[in-house]
Amino acid sequence: MRIAITGGKGGTGKSTIATALSYKLSKTKKVLLLDLDVDCPNDDLILGIKTEKVKDVETMIPKFDYKKCVKCGLCSKVCREHAIVFVKGNFPFVIQEQCIGCKACKIVCSRNAITEAKQKIGEIFIGKKGNITLIGGKMKPGIEESSLVVNAVKKFSEQYKNYDYVIVDTAAGTHCPVISALIGCNIVFAVTEPTPLGHHDLELILKLAKKLKIKSYVILNRSDIANKKIIENLARRYKSKIIAEIPYSKEIEKNYSAGKPIEHTSINQIIEVIR
Amino acid sequence: MKTITILSGKGGVGKSSITASLSIVLAKKYKIVVVDCDVDAPNLGLLFGIKKFKNIEKVSTNYKAFTNKKINKCKNIDLVNICAFHAISLKGKVPVINKLLCEGCGACKLLCPEGIELKKVKNAEVGETKTRYGFYIVSGQLKIGESGSGNVVEVVKERARKIAKKINADFIVVDSSAGIGCPVIASIRDSDYVVAITEPTPSALSDLKRVLKVVEHFNIPYGIVINKFDINKRFAKKIENFARKNEITIIGKLPYDKSFVEALVNLEPVVVYNKKFEKLFLDILNNVNYYLK
Repeated sequence: MRIAITGGKGGTGKSTIATALSYKLSKTKKVLLLDLDVDCPNDDLILGIKTEKVKDVETMIPKFDYKKCVKCGLCSKVCREHAIVFVKGNFPFVIQEQCIGCKACKIVCSRNAITEAKQKIGEIFIGKKGNITLIGGKMKPGIEESSLVVNAVKKFSEQYKNYDYVIVDTAAGTHCPVISALIGCNIVFAVTEPTPLGHHDLELILKLAKKLKIKSYVILNRSDIANKKIIENLARRYKSKIIAEIPYSKEIEKNYSAGKPIEHTSINQIIEVIR
Repeated sequence: MKTITILSGKGGVGKSSITASLSIVLAKKYKIVVVDCDVDAPNLGLLFGIKKFKNIEKVSTNYKAFTNKKINKCKNIDLVNICAFHAISLKGKVPVINKLLCEGCGACKLLCPEGIELKKVKNAEVGETKTRYGFYIVSGQLKIGESGSGNVVEVVKERARKIAKKINADFIVVDSSAGIGCPVIASIRDSDYVVAITEPTPSALSDLKRVLKVVEHFNIPYGIVINKFDINKRFAKKIENFARKNEITIIGKLPYDKSFVEALVNLEPVVVYNKKFEKLFLDILNNVNYYLK
């Protein structure tokens, strides 16, 4: 069973729920927690897990053989990321951060003047605590394509089998790194809060889950800070429903701030749905 | 004209709320244009009470690859492994493209020019509206399942620049998305000053450090605002120590207060909902202005 925790809006409690759920499940089951918020991974901090780097994430970057290059400029022309600079009469060169490693330049070069070099765009890390194995990615600051790191972590984690549950924690938003994280999940839990902003972003996530054909449920965090009616109605419209509510509590906020997984009865409600 | 960008790394620490209030205070003295660059999940409009934008333009910033009838001719080419984004798989022996994963780089088309076409896709909408507070806000929305949020941010910013020029604005205020990836990088580019928001939690500090590395990469001056500094004063001290050690200025500290949530629910910036906060935001702006001069 592969379960995604997402939400659209940032700071609604995705990582809080992902870690709390993993923690609770791990008391009787083996849990693989994937931190796929590679922009800003935090699950290790919340669970107090010491992680170590196991692998660099690398993409292809073109290396030019200027002895073979005839300065035709085709490589620059096919690069949709504008990562290859070409000025007539000069040799082309690459702007590292902008290259996404698609290899289009290499394919188009009829002189074989481009070979594949590697560029580091991030790291994969791993850590363990009790029955939880945490695997996550960390994108190198300055790199743009988070989804490449997400995919690398997913691929790397495939060798970790025999887990009862895989919990996937995603980034905020709805774009490529979130889509990549959600693909392959059996169930989506969208964490939100009853504010107009939470409502607005929840709709985007429910739409995305529908598009990906994944069953979605709503977890309402800070459920008592405003009227939850708007969230209930929205969930119903998308054939989803609120399956757990966590009221605002200073205790929870304090634990979170101290870097501890929360324990709350609502986590049991989530587990019931999973079972 | 100066551009101030608000970001945080971690989501939900108060970027949009703080952007809204800073804008209100700034607009009392200057001509401004506000831009919501969180095109994944744009919320800033809501905070000014705007539910629908005007002058909506459909934009296409990205391409996607589509197979056509002649794709059969490419059966012998290994398209699956050429795609760096794992968007191509085989159905029987015929390559199929997963639109959700395709980044439109065109590598597959170079190998199979006959069977694959690259088409521009309408991936976002950009609109603008004059707020009831007198200034314009420009906002974009990425279509669900589409990619290219970084490019859409560029389009949104360009629209804001045009308006700013027309009205001869003093400031453009940019609200970035969470994270450190392409939309955030596109938000930071061409900024004159960055306001980095954080809160006293280990996650927020860790994410702040990561996003600041990106800001430093662009060599843009910045300052930190600690939001809800009083929910964990000990950790707030830790952030202040981090700042001091790295010679970063703390340009503001905001308390945890119920008014912030109440303002949110009322679709009003907190300085409008409760005037007592005006001074705190004014102080932040004075600090920003000090660095811009």
